[in-house]
Amino acid sequence: MKTRTKVLIGLGAYLALAVVLGVIFGNAGKNDEFKPQNEFKLDAWIPIKVGGIDLSINRAVFYLLLATGLTIATMVWISRRMQQKPNRVQTAVEVAYDLTRTNIAGSNMDASMATRWFPFVATLFFFIWFSNIIGFLPLPTNTENEIHVFGLTLPTLAIYAATANVSVPLALTLVVWISYNVQGIRSKGFFPYFASWLPPGLENMNPLGKAFIFVIEAISQFARLISLSVRLFANILAGHLLLLFMGGGLAVLLGLAALGVLTFPLAFFFLVLELGLIATLQAFIFATLTAIYLGGATAKSH
Amino acid sequence: MADLLVPLAQATDLTPVTDAGKAIALGVGAGLGSIGAGIGIGFIFGKEIESVARQPEMKDELQAIRWLGFALTEAVAFYTFIFGLIAFFLS
Repeated sequence: MKTRTKVLIGLGAYLALAVVLGVIFGNAGKNDEFKPQNEFKLDAWIPIKVGGIDLSINRAVFYLLLATGLTIATMVWISRRMQQKPNRVQTAVEVAYDLTRTNIAGSNMDASMATRWFPFVATLFFFIWFSNIIGFLPLPTNTENEIHVFGLTLPTLAIYAATANVSVPLALTLVVWISYNVQGIRSKGFFPYFASWLPPGLENMNPLGKAFIFVIEAISQFARLISLSVRLFANILAGHLLLLFMGGGLAVLLGLAALGVLTFPLAFFFLVLELGLIATLQAFIFATLTAIYLGGATAKSH
Repeated sequence: MADLLVPLAQATDLTPVTDAGKAIALGVGAGLGSIGAGIGIGFIFGKEIESVARQPEMKDELQAIRWLGFALTEAVAFYTFIFGLIAFFLS
């Protein structure tokens, strides 16, 4: 049998399975009980209220602590058992360390700045990376739908990431934004730093035009707050939504069991894409942009 | 395809007209955003291939810049997607 025939038979059987399931189960009608947005709802597990501010321990806090703990534990563990002949885990961490040191910090800042800010940039990279990766592991955190096993009530498996909630990337972005502005003011002085926001080549412009361009540059500085945080948050959220809908959410929502057969391979494809590319790439981008902003704030001339 | 999309629009319990508007906001908004980002990503990879074909020794340096450009452009699609979700769920 030719390879092409085999491929065609496989595809035909796959489509036939979808058609057969569609004929048997048909359209169960739309499902009003399943609310996809509830997958991202945060139920307070341990309610804590301090003066009107909600500080409850919920799923996001759990994932945040998990990512933090994993980052610290892995790096401390690796650094304690460094060997002359590295094993596979140590090699991988060394590659990541080298990436943050030379590619992210080293190539975007000058030498003294790179030495000073490398720990910060590397911490951001590893924390976001761990947070993104554990976001794709199903963990028993869905307290909305519970499962009963041997008399025990357990939460069902769900995927969630600390970085899929806008608060965490926004907090990281605020830290980055304040650090690079403070670092710029410290290395250049207060007024020279803000004067350095103006692009070079405007020496002969009248003050009104300079003020206009300064306003635009100031807006672009504040837009970094939005772009840096929303980029990370939206990438991870969109990845999780895709997995949710392709991995069965769409079939449940529409009541079409046959649709699940067609969308499930897509869910697998997106999982591979997210784990292999997006999770690492977003951590890399966040750290690189931090290094670029820090380098730009302290550079002698643009 | 139409009978697949209608139940999705009716998934929230609001009046059909508002639902239609929200579904259009999400679909058209995110779709138009994806066009721009798609063109941009194609441009980045196309130019990178062109550059590597001209100067193969620059491949390693271009690789880092390519991923940076890819992620920056790709994010634009997600901005529109987030605004679409805000229109769909929060308004």
